[in-house]
Amino acid sequence: MEHRSLAQRLIARPEFGPFVLLVVELAGFWAINHDFLSPQNISNTLSFTVELGLIALAMTLLMTSGEFDLSVGSMFGFAPVLMWTLFNSGATSLEVGFVVALVVAALIGLVNGWFVTQLKITSFLVTLGMLLVVRGTALFVTDGFPQRTWSAGTHWLAQVLVGEFFVGTFRVYMSLFWFLAAAVLLGYVLTQTRVGNWILASGGNANAARARGVNVDRTKIALFMLSAMMAAFAGIISSIRTSAANPNSGTGYELEVIAMVVIGGTALTGGRGTVIGTVLGVLILRVMRNGIVLIGVPGLAYNIFIGAIILGMMALHSWLERRHHAGT
Amino acid sequence: MNAMAEPLIRMEHISKSYGRVQALDDVTFTVNQHEIVGLLGDNGAGKSTLIKVLSGAVPLTSGEIFIRGQKVTLRSTTDAIARGIETIYQDSALVTQLSIARNLFLGREPIKPPRFLNRMDQDAMDAVARTLLKKVGITKDIPPSTPIGALSGGERQAVAIARAMHFDSDLIILDEPTNNLGVAETQGVLRFVRGARDSGHSCIFIAHNIHHVFQVVDRIVVMRRGKVVADDIDPKRTTIEHVEEVITGMAEETVDLGAAPP
Repeated sequence: MEHRSLAQRLIARPEFGPFVLLVVELAGFWAINHDFLSPQNISNTLSFTVELGLIALAMTLLMTSGEFDLSVGSMFGFAPVLMWTLFNSGATSLEVGFVVALVVAALIGLVNGWFVTQLKITSFLVTLGMLLVVRGTALFVTDGFPQRTWSAGTHWLAQVLVGEFFVGTFRVYMSLFWFLAAAVLLGYVLTQTRVGNWILASGGNANAARARGVNVDRTKIALFMLSAMMAAFAGIISSIRTSAANPNSGTGYELEVIAMVVIGGTALTGGRGTVIGTVLGVLILRVMRNGIVLIGVPGLAYNIFIGAIILGMMALHSWLERRHHAGT
Repeated sequence: MNAMAEPLIRMEHISKSYGRVQALDDVTFTVNQHEIVGLLGDNGAGKSTLIKVLSGAVPLTSGEIFIRGQKVTLRSTTDAIARGIETIYQDSALVTQLSIARNLFLGREPIKPPRFLNRMDQDAMDAVARTLLKKVGITKDIPPSTPIGALSGGERQAVAIARAMHFDSDLIILDEPTNNLGVAETQGVLRFVRGARDSGHSCIFIAHNIHHVFQVVDRIVVMRRGKVVADDIDPKRTTIEHVEEVITGMAEETVDLGAAPP
């Protein structure tokens, strides 16, 4: 096999397509409306982007291991409802409520993982069932009403999770740093560590991994737990930022998150995953949502663009894949 | 030395039935140290089942397995690997998306200190991979970062064999390693197998193509309908035609076929 040139290797990278798309998107929206790159608009776009982004980061690792999780959207709604219900009823302090919500999320992830690995049921069915159970619980516990969250504003936990501060006129939420930290950490885990190698192998060829002594089941269960906890974490951040813990929030997020991950270049079938790609995928979809509104396209048309992007990126990935293999 | 005289692997009176089907019927089979054994037989003769029992993939119904004279129970493939028995099935043993180096060390990745960072020592893995690829006789310059998916069938076999050699497997079982390979690739794989023996490993070589078996093995064992019908054929002292007759049952001798006239 001959050594490829730097440019060729760059193009062969799964992140290359999403990167170009993001640049084109940014340039296009900016050309039509210069306000698109104003500090105010960037700040607004980022605030919600990082919340979905946190879920997408965990989903990247889970999908690389060959599974996915449809229950993240309902977990996004359920975890803050649980935390605020505990706090508002006086049962626990906010800190304890926060920890309880994350532990419950981890347990739900454990159940997802146990069903998938021990009962050998596909993650599609398991997490679809869990989606309904979790969403149903959130609605039942609250009678469908949002929980009060306004008492959080000055609490230290709220400040640490999503406190806002200004860099000049640029407003930044703390959640942006949580997202960046999670991206760096999970990117490191996936590309540099032994565990990352096991995640890739579990998704690529589970039998081969098992034969080498890799505990595929434990790896996948841990990732289901991570995915549920990240969704809970993101939901709690969102509830504090918007001052609302709505049992219905997060509906449909699971599909948007999975779309972000696959657009970024992670394989739906497992074995191949990129955290950098996911960060790009997250930005592509959120920038698209923000941009089409800003240039005057009706917001209802959003899904048309998202669908077209998914189809286009899948075609590109498949073409690159075939080209890559044909060239060797 | 007593330990040297003892065969590496001794399977005694092995039987395996799937429901009413008797896949293995009182099979006794040995592999000596530094020996390549060719295991032959028609489809359904029981070769695959015997190998699956020895690699821990299926439990035996009755019988005993000894490794260097010590009785063992093989509960899983991991169990067998830990005891130095490595089975290489075509394609199934490697993760095509991962690089050569990462496949070689899958499950045993070296860690860079500090250990809590769980960071793989990529340089060490690459260095070992380079040496190993040379050792098994890959002369082309293939970077260790190449994904398995970009390799040819023969090169994949080579990587699997290299891995077994590096982790000191005493016995390397090759199940149809030359299937679907071109002539040059096949010669490459046969060279890897000889190389493995010369560096102290034993091999069981299973192939449909008797010509390939003749080129590489020290001893041929033939199975038919779940039984071993010949276990000491010397490929240097017999002909392919004769072995074919034993496989199909046209030659019924079961003792010392090595002396049969050409």
